[in-house]
Amino acid sequence: MRAVCWHGKHNIQVDTVPDPQILNPRDAIVRVALTCICGSDLHLYNGYIPSMKDGDILGHEFVGEVVEIGSGVSGVARGDRVVVPFPIACGDCWYCKQEMYSLCDNSNPNSWAMEKMYGDTGAGIFGYSHLYGGYSGGQAEYVRVPFADVGLKKIPDQLDWEQVIFLTDIFPTAYQAAEQCGIREGDTVAVWGCGPVGLLALKSARLLGAHKVVGIDRFPKRLELAARECQAEVINYEETDVVETLHNMTGGRGPDACIDAVGMEAQGTGIEAAYDNVKQTLKIENDRPMALRQLIKACRKGGTISIPGVYSGFVDKMPMGAVFAKGLTLRTGQTHVQKYVPPLMRLVERGAIDTTFIITHRLPLEDAPMGYRIFDHKEEGCIKIVMNPLAASQATH
Amino acid sequence: MVTRYGSSFEEDSKGRQINVGSKERKASMIGGAALAITGVKKLTQGNILSGLLMLASGGMFYNRGKSGHCNMYQKMGVNTARDVQTPIRLEKVVTINRTPQQVYDFWRDLENLPKFMNHLESVQVRGPVISHWKAVGAGGLSVEWDAEIVQDIPGQKISWQSIGEADVANEGTVRFEEAPGNRGTEVHVLISYTPPGGAVGKAAARFLQTVNAVQLEQDLKRLKQILETGVTATAESWAM
Ligand SMILES: [Zn+2]
Ligand SMILES: [Zn+2]
Repeated sequence: MRAVCWHGKHNIQVDTVPDPQILNPRDAIVRVALTCICGSDLHLYNGYIPSMKDGDILGHEFVGEVVEIGSGVSGVARGDRVVVPFPIACGDCWYCKQEMYSLCDNSNPNSWAMEKMYGDTGAGIFGYSHLYGGYSGGQAEYVRVPFADVGLKKIPDQLDWEQVIFLTDIFPTAYQAAEQCGIREGDTVAVWGCGPVGLLALKSARLLGAHKVVGIDRFPKRLELAARECQAEVINYEETDVVETLHNMTGGRGPDACIDAVGMEAQGTGIEAAYDNVKQTLKIENDRPMALRQLIKACRKGGTISIPGVYSGFVDKMPMGAVFAKGLTLRTGQTHVQKYVPPLMRLVERGAIDTTFIITHRLPLEDAPMGYRIFDHKEEGCIKIVMNPLAASQATH
Repeated sequence: MVTRYGSSFEEDSKGRQINVGSKERKASMIGGAALAITGVKKLTQGNILSGLLMLASGGMFYNRGKSGHCNMYQKMGVNTARDVQTPIRLEKVVTINRTPQQVYDFWRDLENLPKFMNHLESVQVRGPVISHWKAVGAGGLSVEWDAEIVQDIPGQKISWQSIGEADVANEGTVRFEEAPGNRGTEVHVLISYTPPGGAVGKAAARFLQTVNAVQLEQDLKRLKQILETGVTATAESWAM
């Protein structure tokens, strides 16, 4: 089959690789109908996630059709159209039983590696380094899905692939981030980063009853989408002081909750940004936490900092003094996608939310290297790229 | 040039004195090969320093095991043919989302042990308390022993020990304790084995202790996966 493979920093190729096989009775094989490049794939592309190996198949956002099922899988059948949550979860451990699927005890075969780094392990993830299990990803024609009875969610007939593709990761991720804010009447929620997760977080915060939502970015096209599609007030952080503007917008109180939808590769301005850039390049600090520092400063006393953006290692100059003095609550973590797919699928089904407005590029899988390049450079107003493994390459760009 | 201390010593194929006892030789070969292989793995994982260290010491242990000659022993004037060593203890615990009785039942059927203990090739039950264990180390070297269950409290505890002429004398205890608040069962495992003696034997044992502690932890993780999910988590390996 054809698959998008990682061959080192900034080196992505579409290769012919062996078809996946059923390895365990609880496995299934899915033929991919649609797959995306995620902002967190750019961390792999830019070489910030350790333990990648030459030839690893990328991709953790994919939907498709079940073509083969192991003897131990119940509840799904060949021919089912399915959404595949990006964390691999067993459904049987204590964490899975508490619906904390991304903290599954049993799905990461390389758990020892993460235990060494973090003290414990999280769930395995498709196509996201050997630290997260070494599973082959979904930017491919076919994918093996372990624990398929937990990891396949059926799609109602009337919904097309584009309507459900973001249920694999970014919509539940955005929704969980907003839910973690514990939104109450009158709350203002500010979201740093108006990329795919940020935009959907703004929408989710609205769905959950926020009085006002504010989107912060530097790309005019993203800010325009935030304003038009998510009814957000917007701040361009290159043009104005973010903390001061937020205070002015909230009667001097500060936002009740702040969402970091940027993560470890935050852009910034001024001396602080330069400092983090140098440190990250020298690998002294693997995450650049500019956005996070700003969130902490802007948030109102007793407020909540919700972090769906990916961090992988150490951050420097964390203003713990402000976290403490202002009594802030930090909520973090990978998304428990399996928990959110059913309720969010119902929202999509009854038309309460449409997430397709973030799609800016529809590419054949063969054009993945170009897709990574334009997404990384934010060229052509790129926000979200979806790829079809069946479409022939146009190679006309 | 080989210095001869007397004519009664055995010699290896190069005419060097055999100054390493037979049990220790076997353990040296197994441990050495394991260290070397782990060393290679570490190197491929980019863990250069510890990989090289393991590779080098692994090779040394393997060779002294194979030849029965140890340069370091000779320099130190040590001969360990009949030395005995204090046991090494490995202790690990894992919480499994099943009842103590369920975990006990699985463990008590000793023939299940090779399903999660990677170094065990087979365990054959030969009577109510007697079983025969076969372990295969890195490099395909195998050791076998008979074991006897010395304590058996259903749902709570199993203790066993090797009997007769075991290559590496060993014993173990596993306790099953209910975790608080429906968190399943805490499985406490204590395994001790008596490595061959001598100064280098001690060093080897220390190395092997860390290697084996990691192995035991992985073994218990597989036990948890089998009991909780029915399978062991597996990733495609073609890109490794
Ligand atoms: Zn993603
Ligand atoms: Zn689980």
